[in-house]
Amino acid sequence: MKYTKEMRLHWTKWVWLALMAIGCTGLDKPLPILGPREVDGADTLYHTIAPFRFVDQDSAVVTNADFTGKIYVADFFFTSCRTICPIMKTQMLRVYEATTEMPDVLLLSHTIDPEWDTVALLHDYAERLGVESRRWHFVTGQKDSIYKIAQTSYFATAMEDRSEPDGFIHSGAFLLIDRRGRIRGKYDGTKEEEVNRLIGDLKRLRRE
Amino acid sequence: MSKRWIGLVVVLWVTACSPIDPKLKQYLVEGERLYVLHCSNCHQRDGQGLRRVYPPLAGSDYLKENLPRVICSMKYGLQGEIIVNGIMYNQAMPGVPSLTELELAEIATYLYNSWGTQTGLIDARRIGPLLDSCARPRPRR
Repeated sequence: MKYTKEMRLHWTKWVWLALMAIGCTGLDKPLPILGPREVDGADTLYHTIAPFRFVDQDSAVVTNADFTGKIYVADFFFTSCRTICPIMKTQMLRVYEATTEMPDVLLLSHTIDPEWDTVALLHDYAERLGVESRRWHFVTGQKDSIYKIAQTSYFATAMEDRSEPDGFIHSGAFLLIDRRGRIRGKYDGTKEEEVNRLIGDLKRLRRE
Repeated sequence: MSKRWIGLVVVLWVTACSPIDPKLKQYLVEGERLYVLHCSNCHQRDGQGLRRVYPPLAGSDYLKENLPRVICSMKYGLQGEIIVNGIMYNQAMPGVPSLTELELAEIATYLYNSWGTQTGLIDARRIGPLLDSCARPRPRR
């Protein structure tokens, strides 16, 4: 049989259609819901971030209510940290810049060294980074509540360890939280590619 | 042979024969490694710093004018306000007390011969007297 130009066109048309179908399903596939879940009859109860109450760089009280109906990215750091935090903050700034036009997206950075990182110090830090407190909250609070919420709600490591050069161990994770307080992604906040993935996932989550 | 080829040969000949001090080269390689390890998290890989939190090292007037203080702060840390290129910074910098005189010289040589500046070798033998000149932090009680 002779292979004609028409046949080739016919083929490529189908290949394109197939590629488009795969591409679209890939885009529409929802992000996973992370953490343990309970099945209660016909309902599935997903893990959500526990209620919290912290104070931000403007001395404003920040609670879950401020994040209801919002998508947010959370992390744990401290201002005097010289290991991974500066890299995390460089990367979080990228997320901040990428979400300038997204009023429904907020950032929440918890200090794990509340004794040193006072409200005044966090205020100065945020101002020096040149970021708005309306979109990026730097919060402090009771040390125990911060460590507890890190470990039991966000599944991120945060604790004091005098044997470490800076006195703390903590993960460099960025957590993506949806409008209902559920964890939808965990990323290494010290790696540019991971943060690119986070920014992509954020956009997908907004379309949900 | 075309003019372009003659030009290339001349360039190669000049660069191959220019006296690149092997000691300087060694300091730069080791200095860069130590810089990436101890300094680049905050001051960034390209020496640009981070907004008004961490000051730049590239094109920094502070660096240019304060070699003794730069050496001292790498080993003993630096606290309080400093002005770099007209901007006030106030982020405490922890020192790295384990750095030897040779390592301090290597990092300094890297800082003072990167990002558009070429000051030449800062010899390890210069570091001892510089360290003696700076006030060491009082031990915490």
